[in-house]
Amino acid sequence: MTEESPYFTPDYSVNIYGLNEQSVTVEFGTVISEEILQLITSYNRVLMQNPFPGLITTVPAYCTLTVFFDPLLVHTSNLPGETCFDKVSYFLNHIKQSESRQAINKPVEIIIPVCYGGSFGADIETVAKINQLSIAEVIERHSSMQYIVYMIGFVPGFAYMGGMDASLQTPRKQVPDATIPAGSVGIAGMQTGIYPIETPGGWQIIGRTPLKMFDVNRAEPSLLKGGNLVRFRAINIDEFNTYGKQ
Amino acid sequence: MSMKISILKAGLLTTVQDMGRYGYLSQAVPISGAMDQLAHRLANKAVGNDDDLATIEFTYADASFKAETDLLLAYFGDGAFLVDHDQVMPAEKPLFIRAGSVIKLINNPVGIRIYLAIAGGWEVPEVMGSKSTFLAAGFGGFNGRALKKGDVLSNNLCLAKVSEAIFKQLKNNQLSYPNWRISRESLIPENRHTIRVVLANEINWFDATSIISFLTKTYQIDKRSNRMGYHLNGKALVRKVKKELLSTAVTPGIIQVTGSGDLVILMADCQTTGGYPRIAHVAAVDLPLCAQLKPGDEIRFSEISRDEAEELYLEREHDLSLITTAIGLKYLNL
Repeated sequence: MTEESPYFTPDYSVNIYGLNEQSVTVEFGTVISEEILQLITSYNRVLMQNPFPGLITTVPAYCTLTVFFDPLLVHTSNLPGETCFDKVSYFLNHIKQSESRQAINKPVEIIIPVCYGGSFGADIETVAKINQLSIAEVIERHSSMQYIVYMIGFVPGFAYMGGMDASLQTPRKQVPDATIPAGSVGIAGMQTGIYPIETPGGWQIIGRTPLKMFDVNRAEPSLLKGGNLVRFRAINIDEFNTYGKQ
Repeated sequence: MSMKISILKAGLLTTVQDMGRYGYLSQAVPISGAMDQLAHRLANKAVGNDDDLATIEFTYADASFKAETDLLLAYFGDGAFLVDHDQVMPAEKPLFIRAGSVIKLINNPVGIRIYLAIAGGWEVPEVMGSKSTFLAAGFGGFNGRALKKGDVLSNNLCLAKVSEAIFKQLKNNQLSYPNWRISRESLIPENRHTIRVVLANEINWFDATSIISFLTKTYQIDKRSNRMGYHLNGKALVRKVKKELLSTAVTPGIIQVTGSGDLVILMADCQTTGGYPRIAHVAAVDLPLCAQLKPGDEIRFSEISRDEAEELYLEREHDLSLITTAIGLKYLNL
């Protein structure tokens, strides 16, 4: 019996390419899947716990983990290889071989209250009409699933979430809205997400959360992180207005 | 030593920047920081600062400020010249400026941005580990926004020994500066409109003719260009691989190809992730050249290998460390 993590099967191979002089990208696959997400989350944790000299930070995405480093520190390190790219690649391949036997922490589930429809979710009718549902059904289906955060991107704290009920699938808008208010909950294709700051955007907006999804004054500004589990809870306008004020 | 300026005229876009914010990329917080990192770092060096202290990034000229105290400043970059009355103040060296002076920025047609460093660095609160301004989300720098008329900016009172020595040498009852300067042009290529690039991961998604066009044709900087990225006008590229790229990390210098085949060079405030295929990235040593480009400027790309780009990076860092050593020796070990 081996103690190999189920996510690091021995025949699993990664592709490593240079992004620029200060970063390389480790590619774990080419499709969106929970398995790859777990793999990246676990690999990232191992790397952060056992950094190489000069490691600055990492950026997880759907199928990749990008690793930023200080070339001066990598260059003078005693990692094997001629170039920084060789040295970092060696280290990143080495992690996979020997350091991957790490238990995966139970994912965190975060509840997000959402006031659906009305002026907070002007596109909920579009979502309902396209999918031949009532607005109540859209709310019911959107707030009954458990979602998984695949990655944070686009603007600070914006979580791309998968796991939506397929009957809510709605394409992006042809012409993006010029301003979408902070806290807006949207749908694009099979994904759902929350706009943390006011920004232009093309997702179909179905509601708004009173939570601050991104707050520079918090130690961890982004409320959500890659790998988190999320549930939405429908709230009414009174609860929205008084949320966090009791 | 307290130094202070007040902004009389803010100019087109004036922000406080440092070498960027790397700690929160995984939360999609962009790097930001000085567009022209070379000019930023040299400006700091000229007043005896560490490279990562905050400077003020001015975009074009048409700005002015008043010295509320005696100042030790330096500026680098091609966006403007500083003048006091009609006297042009030399760039690329420390400047002692008397309290009460009114300094104007006048047009330098060569580029677009200058960096103004002050002994001790400009003092603004650190947000997520950096003093850089990120305008789109309104945080960092001076209250999360561009500077405007009436703003008063101070230095950090804690000066490096070198800064104190330079100040002591130059302190006078009028504008004064030393006879040495740091030559920025000795660090950058003579032809500033040929940008060296390293081909990127999705290079084979484009057809051969398009790759040749990319490496031989002239591209022009479009008006839709800002701190997030530069749109280029020129021959559109044709894809031979039509598949979608799943969003993945991107970083300043990367050249994306949009759905219509147009090129976009990502710059300091770019998003942390992107889904457009990437044809190349600008060699880190040439990114400061891009930071000085303005709409209408024409550029060409020339290919170098990943290893060459890395070597150039390490050489540049070595040259920069020699400058710091030289200034240190000059002022501390006389």
